[in-house]
Amino acid sequence: MKHARWLVIAPYFLLTILPLAWIFLTSIKVQEDTNSRTVKFIPSLAKEIPDDSRRFTVSPDAYTRLEEKHTGVEYGFYRYLANSVIIGFISTLASVTLGTCCAYGFSRFKIPGARDWLFFILSTRFLPPLAVVMPILLMYRQFDLQNTHLGLIILYTSFNLSLSIWLMKGFIDEIPRAYEEAALVDGYSRWHAFVRIILPHARTGIAVTAVFCLISAWNEYGFAMTLNQQQAVTVPVYFAGLQGNISGIPWPQVAAGIIVFVAPVMVFTVLVRKHLLRGVTFGTVKQ
Amino acid sequence: MATGQQSSDGLMKWGLVAPALLLLIGLNIFPLAYNIRLSFTKATLTQAPADHEAVGGRNYARIFKADESNRYAAALRTTARFVLMAVSIELLLGYLLALSLKPRFPGKSVVLLVFLIPMMLSPAVMALFWNLIYDEEFGVLNQALRFVGFASVPGWKTDTAVKFYTILMIDVWMWTPFMMLISMAALNAIPDYIYEAAEIDRARRWTVFRRITLPMSAPLLILAALLRTTDALKQFDYVMAITGPNDPATETLSTLMYQVMFRNFKVGLGSAYAIVVLVIVIAVATLFIRYLDRLREQEHAL
Amino acid sequence: MKHYVGTSLILALAVVFTGCGKKESAPRSERDPAPVEASVQGQADDDATVLTIWWAQWDPAVGLQELGDDYEKKTGIKVEVRQIPWGKYQEQVFLEFGNKQTSFDIVVGDSQWLGKGATEGLYVDLTQWLPTVTDIDKIHPQARKYLCEYPAGSGKFFAAPCETDAIGFAYRKDWFEAEKEREAFKAKYDRELAVPETWDEFVQVAEFFTRPDEQRYGCVLLTGRSYDALVMGFQQVMWSFGGSWGDADTHQVDGHVNSSASAEALDFFKSLLEYTPQGGGNIDYDRILESYKDTQSAAMLMTYFAFFPAIEGSDVGANSGYFAMPSKDGKRGVSLGGQGFSISAKTSPQQQAVAKKFIAWFLERETQEKWITKPGGFTAHTDVLASEAFRSATRYNAAFADSLDDMQDFWNVPQYNELLSIAMSHLGAALDDDTVTAKQALDRIAEEHTEVLQDAGLL
Repeated sequence: MKHARWLVIAPYFLLTILPLAWIFLTSIKVQEDTNSRTVKFIPSLAKEIPDDSRRFTVSPDAYTRLEEKHTGVEYGFYRYLANSVIIGFISTLASVTLGTCCAYGFSRFKIPGARDWLFFILSTRFLPPLAVVMPILLMYRQFDLQNTHLGLIILYTSFNLSLSIWLMKGFIDEIPRAYEEAALVDGYSRWHAFVRIILPHARTGIAVTAVFCLISAWNEYGFAMTLNQQQAVTVPVYFAGLQGNISGIPWPQVAAGIIVFVAPVMVFTVLVRKHLLRGVTFGTVKQ
Repeated sequence: MATGQQSSDGLMKWGLVAPALLLLIGLNIFPLAYNIRLSFTKATLTQAPADHEAVGGRNYARIFKADESNRYAAALRTTARFVLMAVSIELLLGYLLALSLKPRFPGKSVVLLVFLIPMMLSPAVMALFWNLIYDEEFGVLNQALRFVGFASVPGWKTDTAVKFYTILMIDVWMWTPFMMLISMAALNAIPDYIYEAAEIDRARRWTVFRRITLPMSAPLLILAALLRTTDALKQFDYVMAITGPNDPATETLSTLMYQVMFRNFKVGLGSAYAIVVLVIVIAVATLFIRYLDRLREQEHAL
Repeated sequence: MKHYVGTSLILALAVVFTGCGKKESAPRSERDPAPVEASVQGQADDDATVLTIWWAQWDPAVGLQELGDDYEKKTGIKVEVRQIPWGKYQEQVFLEFGNKQTSFDIVVGDSQWLGKGATEGLYVDLTQWLPTVTDIDKIHPQARKYLCEYPAGSGKFFAAPCETDAIGFAYRKDWFEAEKEREAFKAKYDRELAVPETWDEFVQVAEFFTRPDEQRYGCVLLTGRSYDALVMGFQQVMWSFGGSWGDADTHQVDGHVNSSASAEALDFFKSLLEYTPQGGGNIDYDRILESYKDTQSAAMLMTYFAFFPAIEGSDVGANSGYFAMPSKDGKRGVSLGGQGFSISAKTSPQQQAVAKKFIAWFLERETQEKWITKPGGFTAHTDVLASEAFRSATRYNAAFADSLDDMQDFWNVPQYNELLSIAMSHLGAALDDDTVTAKQALDRIAEEHTEVLQDAGLL
């Protein structure tokens, strides 16, 4: 009975890791070895391998040639990665800042209709993107925000706000009011108390919130595709755009790109792993 | 002095919450409102807003027209089926995994990290990559199946009966970890003393699970189901990349809307459609939230 | 909780009304000052003139860029050809047309876009201008009618011919010529193994080469769903069987697309899938090339002539030959491909003038003769087409020239995309789902097409 759990864990582990392993194996192949009638899955260092072998020659090409411009695409991978970094990090910074301020407001002040506002904030999370994409497109056309980094930064900031406000409110609620009150008595202004007392205590919360905002901004596709066709194209849009490429999809580069692209997200996730649970439950679970 | 403090507080509290609320209204409520307006016009993608021509409720009439050729109804059925199956499989698997992962064991953190990787990947990019795996002629999946001795291998992209599951499998692969995480949170939230009390009572494992574990983790599971349901209702990336739009076997609400708005250029009709979807989302969310509230009340009553 | 939902809805509704009022007035006031003027000023400061052309991603676009480089050497005007993968080409172009200004000056668009471009004021009307720079009668009549005019045959021009294209077949010459194969074929079918001229012969050849245990297959056909491949592939069979999408003049659909000839054609098309590798029932422009280029795959490949340069450059290039569409009872249907230059109406008058100059240069006989030396550079110029230089320029040009007279186009109406979407959906169902008969699928197409055309006032 005690080992019964492995009957669940082991098969699922296999199920999860096989596609991941395939991404890795693909990333160390050359293009010709990815689409083949005899599927190649045994890495080998040998240079000459017959066509019908299951082995393939390991090659670092996909990583070293990641920045190469593929036919039909304007720039190399790193240019798009830079866009993703700029848009992802700035929008994360913005939504965490706005979210923290807003959460503090709701946590410490009496705001008329606070519960309604909070519910409204939560409900924006459920809005189907296609229900707002057209008006946003028209709005962006009006203000020339299409094809700009700023356009996506604003959009992602607003989409992540609901999560950020709810998470941060949970964290700030837990910081005893007595801390600030003591500071206020000492002659601190409200603002100072917020900056000097609350923010340091909410550090963990801020980190967790930031990771969640980053993941969703990092991987977003629908809006990025509709609003940006030329400038400010992010990595998901770049890769998805390779579909239908007449010179073939450069599978090794795509696989290598997937790995490079997920790396930062993975690192951050590992860093905040202890608080992950809180993030996925919208802050409803206290730890 | 006291009043001065208060009025500066008043200024500050709005200063704190207003920017966020304004942004939310500006990019959610305002566009939504404008979308409602668009849904009563026959706007096209390339028109300037001033040229949008009002058509009254014609778009809605078209959506609710009951005939066999109603693609909207078909897409709604496909999406409903997809959401129902995806969410229940993911919830069940995720909960089972969370239960299995509860005890400590060596290497647990590594196993956990591997389990979480799929949900960190970009769905759009992974959707592209799945094409390589699913390719019927060259793909690793079919070759592996042939290798283990299957005489005929599934037509992942060409068999009407299979396509739907092709998409479903990707969704399960990517989002079961999310359900697992929430389930873990739910299990962690059950205080140990309750289990200890049960142990003293010599309750059987199954009874403990049925009487304590399941009911106490239920509210978070409902929340998990709600979050995944509203996400799965938007299913778009995998369908676009694997079977493409216009495939009756896998056409979801989102791909159909995309087709109508961005390929057929019928923004007015697409907007009306989006509003119908929104109403469905609100209805589903309200149902969940009510249920959640009832569970919470029961919990408090205990 | 009910309380929250209620208030949120009220809040949303409140914003609806205030929101409507705001947005309604804003765009109107901003719209009046012509956006063109602003951009004119922008251009004036910019001394280096750049002409931007958007085209789909394939070899002809590379050739066009090379011609553009020549043009730059001659005139100092830089020509930039931007290639966009097929699957997204249309969406990107029309999203761009929604902007105040397009970032391209010329778009090399599908013939089916002409309807939209012409009726919605997106394309510049070239009716007056085109005859002043080129001899209209020297444009191949099919290319002129379908690639340049809207409505087809009206004499009103919204595009100038750029690349004329058709669908044809590439085949494995080495397999066809192998002595062993020839003998085996003769023994089985009592005739010589040769390039099929009719669809019946096609079936025999395809059947002959289909040997799954050797991982050899008869053919790969256009059946992909991401844009229009399935429609392009199927309609040629439909036309040669005597079916059609509808009456081009009256727009009558019922009785044409669902005629017994059309249904027979769809059944026939589906039966051909037996000779394709697995997955051949849903395979797009990009993937189909990979399937054929894989040295062990299909004997015959159906695709646009403009993709054949990509085959010439591959491992199987030297072993490939090319032939035109087979026929049925003397009737042949060839899908028209290729595209025309259209000038964006949403670009400055200066840029439009620059674009016109470039197109005029492109249409000169001398440039056309250079164009045919580029991969996939198929001309519409009748004299050049008829020249021996063209026929022998590549191994596929002769088959191309032979296809031209049977070229047909379809759905040159602004509702093209809706018609396409409906047809893709039901044709796809007929191929993938054995419970859907050809007649049922085509009946549904007829019904839904009729509805769209009626809505548009065309029927």
